[in-house]
Amino acid sequence: MASRVAKATARQVKPLLSIDQSEARKRVLNLYKAWYRQIPYIVIEYDIPKSQDQCRQKLREEFEKYRHVQDIRTIDMLVIKGQMELKETVEIWKQKHGIMSYWRDSVEPRPKDFLSKFLDGHE
Amino acid sequence: MLRLGASRVLQNGGGRAAVLGTRTQASAPEKIEVFINDKPVMVEPGTTVLQAAAIAGVEIPRFCYHERLSVAGNCRMCLVEVEKSPKPVAACAMPVMKGWRVKTDSDLTRKAREGVMEFLLINHPLDCPICDQGGECDLQDQSMAFGSDRTRFLDKKRAVEDKNIGPLVKTIMTRCIHCTRCVRFASEIAGVEDLGTTGRGHDMQIGTYVEKMLMSELSGNVIDLCPVGALTSKPYAFTARPWEVRRTDSIDVLDALGSNIVVNHRTGEVLRILPQTNEDINEEWLSDKSRFSYDGLKRQRLIHPMVKDSNGDLRPCEWEDALIVAAKALQAADGSVGAIAGGLVDAESLIAMKDMVNKLGGEAVCTEEIFPNAGTGTDLRSSYLLNTGIAGVEEADLALLVGTNPRFEAPLFNARLRKAWVHNELDVAMIGPKVNLTYDHENLGDDASIIQGLLDGSHPFAKRLSSAKKPIIVVGSSLLARPDGSTLHAKLLQLSQKLRNSCEGGADWRVLNVLHRVASQVAALDLGYAPGVASIRNAPPKVLFLLGADEGAITREDLPKDTVVIYQGHHGDRGAEMADIVLPGAAYTEKTATYVNTEGRAQQTQAALVPPGMAREDWKIIRALSQIAGVVLTYDNLDEIRNRMTEVSPNLTRYGDVEEANYFAQATDLAKRVQGSVAPFPLDVPQKKLEDFYMTDPITRASATMAKCIVAVKKEASNKYHD
Repeated sequence: MASRVAKATARQVKPLLSIDQSEARKRVLNLYKAWYRQIPYIVIEYDIPKSQDQCRQKLREEFEKYRHVQDIRTIDMLVIKGQMELKETVEIWKQKHGIMSYWRDSVEPRPKDFLSKFLDGHE
Repeated sequence: MLRLGASRVLQNGGGRAAVLGTRTQASAPEKIEVFINDKPVMVEPGTTVLQAAAIAGVEIPRFCYHERLSVAGNCRMCLVEVEKSPKPVAACAMPVMKGWRVKTDSDLTRKAREGVMEFLLINHPLDCPICDQGGECDLQDQSMAFGSDRTRFLDKKRAVEDKNIGPLVKTIMTRCIHCTRCVRFASEIAGVEDLGTTGRGHDMQIGTYVEKMLMSELSGNVIDLCPVGALTSKPYAFTARPWEVRRTDSIDVLDALGSNIVVNHRTGEVLRILPQTNEDINEEWLSDKSRFSYDGLKRQRLIHPMVKDSNGDLRPCEWEDALIVAAKALQAADGSVGAIAGGLVDAESLIAMKDMVNKLGGEAVCTEEIFPNAGTGTDLRSSYLLNTGIAGVEEADLALLVGTNPRFEAPLFNARLRKAWVHNELDVAMIGPKVNLTYDHENLGDDASIIQGLLDGSHPFAKRLSSAKKPIIVVGSSLLARPDGSTLHAKLLQLSQKLRNSCEGGADWRVLNVLHRVASQVAALDLGYAPGVASIRNAPPKVLFLLGADEGAITREDLPKDTVVIYQGHHGDRGAEMADIVLPGAAYTEKTATYVNTEGRAQQTQAALVPPGMAREDWKIIRALSQIAGVVLTYDNLDEIRNRMTEVSPNLTRYGDVEEANYFAQATDLAKRVQGSVAPFPLDVPQKKLEDFYMTDPITRASATMAKCIVAVKKEASNKYHD
């Protein structure tokens, strides 16, 4: 009896938005489509040195990064964050470098071996 | 300070017997029961109320009482009620009697404390906000805990003239509460009779009577002892509050004892250095050089790698450039590489340097400090350690100092000898120049042939030595640096072994003690460095690596013109001056590193700060250079390099423990084969007077405080009030 109560309570976490996997999936796909449709405007309005194809590739990459996530609440939270990003992008609250930072061109990888760490001043 | 033993001799005509009598009473004393706040405790007879309370876990407030000083009983703060006693008793001075019921928290006790506190505060200024003791002041803390919440005194406070007692200790004598801890410290532990009290009652003052300097190498300790802000640190004045500093436990490396210290630092600089209690090494004291030379860590620092340009000037450059130039020189040398390690180098850099030089095909890795290499040389650790241990000398009854002035070479070791001299009837004799050791000793002369006389029994002192129960011989490392050092070392080894066999100390008692002057020496010898630079001088290598070697053992004149000199270290001193390539390293407050003290105890410093500018931890520089030179060392982090150290010498990573050494008999057998004659010139010590004490290494040479000390001490020579 007690174990059944525990099970029931464990199952009933308060949902953020979606109540099941299929609904969460729908929200993700909607977000993806919204971004996809915005890409032409992003390329023009932000005047970034990237083609629409490169942007779509990056969009795909950003979504694939979270492919492993199974938890519905986590998916919902990621969707909410994605929507906020999208809103900021659409309203031009971001600047050019904010978009370009998705490509992380200027980020140098931290050195791994002793000598480069030493010369970099990390060691 | 009258020797305690001597006064006992006067009393009962058998001083040593009396002292030993009290020490061997272990079988006799019957413990007595006393009650501290109704809690029964069993204590030995003669225990004071304060000590009994401490055993019961009750701390009685005190100002004048200090466990390492004699009992004065003049502050009256430790008054407690004892049942059936008409008055409260001073806990620090009153021995407990059987069945006493002590009440440390009764109304009477509390009233007594409040009264005492009120009297102490009559004349104490209300200047806590500008007082350097604020936050670590006993008077402040105890007046909060036990004092009255209002004052009844509206009279004018007394004021006392401040005394000038030198460049280290600042005095604000109005704050003094006359606990006389400083007076007792100076006369009992430091052994200088400069401080005292004048006047009585309201007119009582602590001071030197006539204006003169507190001429002691331990003077900084009175700052720690002072329970109020009457004696504070001059260099630290008005710099920080104790609650805003960060504290890092570390090890001092300015002498070979490895005193435990707490580095107080903030905003990337060392603000002050305080001692940390370690009963086996420094107790709770610290020498002035270790305590006050921290300003030298900020001056004359090397902060850029530097390479000589075509004009022969050293120019700052990037690490990569400097390392490539150095690596090219190392490769071009084709195995003709040598290294000299100075006095402040840690064991990690020593092992890295030795590994790199050996991988390059060189063999000449040596220490700047000379040690004899004949006989077993440095193969057996027992021949270069302070075998008795620093605390061990307290058991000795006769000490023979040969060619050393421990007062300035290792002040806290000298304080131990003095402690034994005061409390344990230690007799001290010295072969060397006449110096003031702060305690009476017999000077046997400075002729090196006396050692032979002691060995064959022809010298009159030989009888004293052979009749001693627990003799020790302390050999200075400067003596062993003489050209006839090997012969003298061999003779002293034989003499020690002879005494060891004949004395009553038993198999565990060790006689031979080598007192080193620099912190790196024991670790270097443990790792297999050759002592002394003779091999470099005889066959100069094409590339010479100076690892913190600043004492000028090798100069440019000793080397051919085309020798490339690489200096690695933290200060621009003699070594950097003659270098073609300079690699900036870290000082002891900036690296986590291993040092082994003169008794063979491995300890580690902790990094309190980051090295300044582009300076790096020393072993990492060597590791990086080795890779560019094509002889990669196989350790990348501290754990790995310490594993390597453990492979070579396991004692180097057993932190805190003394690794004892033996094989005296074998060393002695081999020492007998050492041929050579004793040079005719007399035994000398490099540090004879107080002004010789302050500057001995690159850090202290860069310290303005140390320079001020030397000026003050020299000026004091013309003070007619000094003897």
